[in-house]
Amino acid sequence: MSKNSYVEEQYPPGDFAIWVIIYIELLTFGLLFLGYAYSRKQDLQVFMDSQVMVSQSIGFINTILLITSSYFVAKAVRTIKLSKLSLSKTSLISSKWLLGAMVLGGGFLVFKIYEFSHIFGQGITLSTNKFFMFYLFLTVFHFLHVILGMVILFNLYQKTRLQGYTLDNCSGLETGASYWHMVDLLWIVLFPLVYIL
Amino acid sequence: MKRILEIVWIFLLVLTIFAFVLGNLNFIPTLLVAILFVSTFIKGQMVIDYFMDLKNVRLKYRLIPIIWLVVILSFIAILH
Repeated sequence: MSKNSYVEEQYPPGDFAIWVIIYIELLTFGLLFLGYAYSRKQDLQVFMDSQVMVSQSIGFINTILLITSSYFVAKAVRTIKLSKLSLSKTSLISSKWLLGAMVLGGGFLVFKIYEFSHIFGQGITLSTNKFFMFYLFLTVFHFLHVILGMVILFNLYQKTRLQGYTLDNCSGLETGASYWHMVDLLWIVLFPLVYIL
Repeated sequence: MKRILEIVWIFLLVLTIFAFVLGNLNFIPTLLVAILFVSTFIKGQMVIDYFMDLKNVRLKYRLIPIIWLVVILSFIAILH
């Protein structure tokens, strides 16, 4: 192992600034998760009665979609970093993984919009009760992060398709991928908290 | 391991199916709730280590999201 490659492994992949953002996002969502858990303990019956009105099935499907999308993004990065094929073939394969990730991310948004339309169609708002205040705040906030993630993935896809990333120059790809994995990580905690428990 | 991402992905899917099955029970026993918390931690840990690719970076950068996960899940479990 060369000295340079050793140094690279000391830091998280991608631009370091994205990790500052990720840590801040984790802290922000973490406080909201704790707020939800604390309020649930205070108003347990309200939370249990309200929770049956949200669709566990949609939450489950969306978890599958996001986890698989995250896997596709990890494959896209790994393809660029490890492939021994030509740059054009490597970029083509990687861009297909990213395209797949975008399709799944789009599926997540579609299911979420369907879920929101069902909730809002019943006249539920942020002020209905504490459960729906947290439910809507958490899921809409996360939804907005998925939209931003989709914009990032689209840009990564475009640049990858144009052979813009190589083994030695894939920091941008890793940066965007890290953001998308954070969106997945947040959902992994959000799903059991809001839909299951 | 060559197929580590595939193994992680399948494991994540299995644990997600487990959580969904639990959610469909009328009553979740305390033991299963505890297992759900542990499985959620394992899922998060896998995303952090293998998807975010933090497994081989300097420990402090890897520890931040892991500690976040432990603290958040612990507090949620205590308040549950």
